[in-house]
Amino acid sequence: MVERTAWTGRDMGRKAIGQLRLTTSRNIPRWREVFCFVGCMVTIRIGILYSTQGPYAAVGRDCRDGAELAIQHIRHSLPAGIAIEPVYGDPAGESRRYLDLARAMLRDEGCRHIVGAITSLSRKDIIPLIEKYDGLLWYVCPYEGFEANENVIYTGACPNQHLLPLFDYLLPRYGSRAYLVGANYVWGWEMNRLARELIGQAGGEILGERYLPLEEDNADRLLAEVEQQRPDFILNNLIGPSSYAFLAGMRRLADRDPYFAPENCPVVSCDLTECELGEIAGHAATSQLCTASYFDSLDTPHNAAFKQHVAARFGKGRLVSSFFAGAYTAVRLCAETILKIGDDAPVAVRADVRSGPVETVLGELTIDPLTNHAALPFHLGRIKERGGFEILNSRPAVAADPYLVGNRAPRRGSHLRVVR
Amino acid sequence: MSATPTFTGLHALILHRPDEGVERLTRQLERLGLSVSVQWEPLDSDRAQPDIVLVDADQGWSELLPWPAGRSPVPLIALLGSEAPGRIAWAIEHGAGALIAKPIAASAVYPALVLASHIHGERLASADRLTDLLERIRLRPLVHTAVLAIMQARQIEEAEAYHLLRRCAMRRRLTMEHIAAEIVAGIEPLPEAG
Repeated sequence: MVERTAWTGRDMGRKAIGQLRLTTSRNIPRWREVFCFVGCMVTIRIGILYSTQGPYAAVGRDCRDGAELAIQHIRHSLPAGIAIEPVYGDPAGESRRYLDLARAMLRDEGCRHIVGAITSLSRKDIIPLIEKYDGLLWYVCPYEGFEANENVIYTGACPNQHLLPLFDYLLPRYGSRAYLVGANYVWGWEMNRLARELIGQAGGEILGERYLPLEEDNADRLLAEVEQQRPDFILNNLIGPSSYAFLAGMRRLADRDPYFAPENCPVVSCDLTECELGEIAGHAATSQLCTASYFDSLDTPHNAAFKQHVAARFGKGRLVSSFFAGAYTAVRLCAETILKIGDDAPVAVRADVRSGPVETVLGELTIDPLTNHAALPFHLGRIKERGGFEILNSRPAVAADPYLVGNRAPRRGSHLRVVR
Repeated sequence: MSATPTFTGLHALILHRPDEGVERLTRQLERLGLSVSVQWEPLDSDRAQPDIVLVDADQGWSELLPWPAGRSPVPLIALLGSEAPGRIAWAIEHGAGALIAKPIAASAVYPALVLASHIHGERLASADRLTDLLERIRLRPLVHTAVLAIMQARQIEEAEAYHLLRRCAMRRRLTMEHIAAEIVAGIEPLPEAG
């Protein structure tokens, strides 16, 4: 069946694609024959939707750079007659613009795939559009879970891949009297709700739970309460300027009272990466702990080669974050799958990416057909004085469990028991 | 604080004609750890009951669900495309605790499960409480009789007699009605004053 096509080009090209889809949509040699015959260029267009301004601009810039590098690499190995063209959109952190830009990509620009969105808010906003146009969203950021949409491929970690293994490591070593801070939206709320539940199960105690807006740069009230409560550790789910202010404040607190030094009372984050360390004044976050499914300092041959490519494009000093590596991986996976199967229909691309592991900079990547989520490794890193992370603990890739289905014993026979 | 609701190991029954939406619903329920069956015929009350029922409220007829209106023994979710008040009323009448609008969006399934289970739990608890209260109202004359008996036997005022009876019930960890019944029946001796 000939579907709406996202391949752009002259009318002849479109006809050729139609012919291709009717005959041998999965056969690259045939596909090339068709285009040699017609003699026109076919372009794969992929939407890249990241905010490079606004409160989480550092993360957005890293994602966009990762995507750009992937496009550059794919261009080196494109078959003749096929081009790849990214369609960049920069919503600058504004909800309304995410919608407008995503709609333009899907409706007017011929994109059927968008790699993008950082916050859960923006992801939830654009998913209905992605569904309406039957596109595929590639979401690469760690998030709070409780989602599994058929029009989304998730390559960022969810709680069983970040928070659960983090607590497995942390609670026996530092204690279970925790103070929770978070951004005043779903990431902060849900991460802290889950943390409360997990710490409760472990017999621990929550000494406080406070929220700040993303743009807030005054964390004094939180810091005063932390100083008074003296927790064993602090779970930091703040985002952007409020997170930087809090970490800087913790450094001042530690200078005054060694109880709050990172080795005694660490601040642990599940989304703070290489790309944001430069935003924190005076290396204030040094020695604090972070989880990620990728660190620049990972010692693998694949990563060494990858970092050389990054250095060639962005300079030697550039540290790679899990956001950079995630966006790079998603763009490559998306484009290479389209090239491999000769079709950009989301249903076909989705089926193919779920069919088996692919070697990537994140390791051997498997997308679970049940949840559309990637299996991911867990790494815990300690922030080094000059930036980057010293890796303290690693676990091999584990399948995502976005609804935490496997985390609890079945509760059949509880209050849902059949009453006769 | 709320615990993470989980549905692992539960069995969901979808009462709906098979279609693409039902396939999507089935996949999403399986992602959430439930086993799923689909049928478009009345639920057989003799067979093992599912833990959760999702019913097509657009086309459902009353015999599809074997229980009296409003007496659903399991959480019930209405699948509804229509906006017709009659169909919404049908869903309410049969005890739907949540609804999922058609076309079914995957993201609507988990919230509906949580809501319907919660509402169902609340209804069961309310029904238990109501039964308890009705029973106590029915037995209220016994309390009155027991208070009169204590007043006469101990030569005290009504308020003091009531207080004695209440203290006795608390000590024995029984309801006032229960202890009153035992006193009136002569099983329990009259409580001592003071």
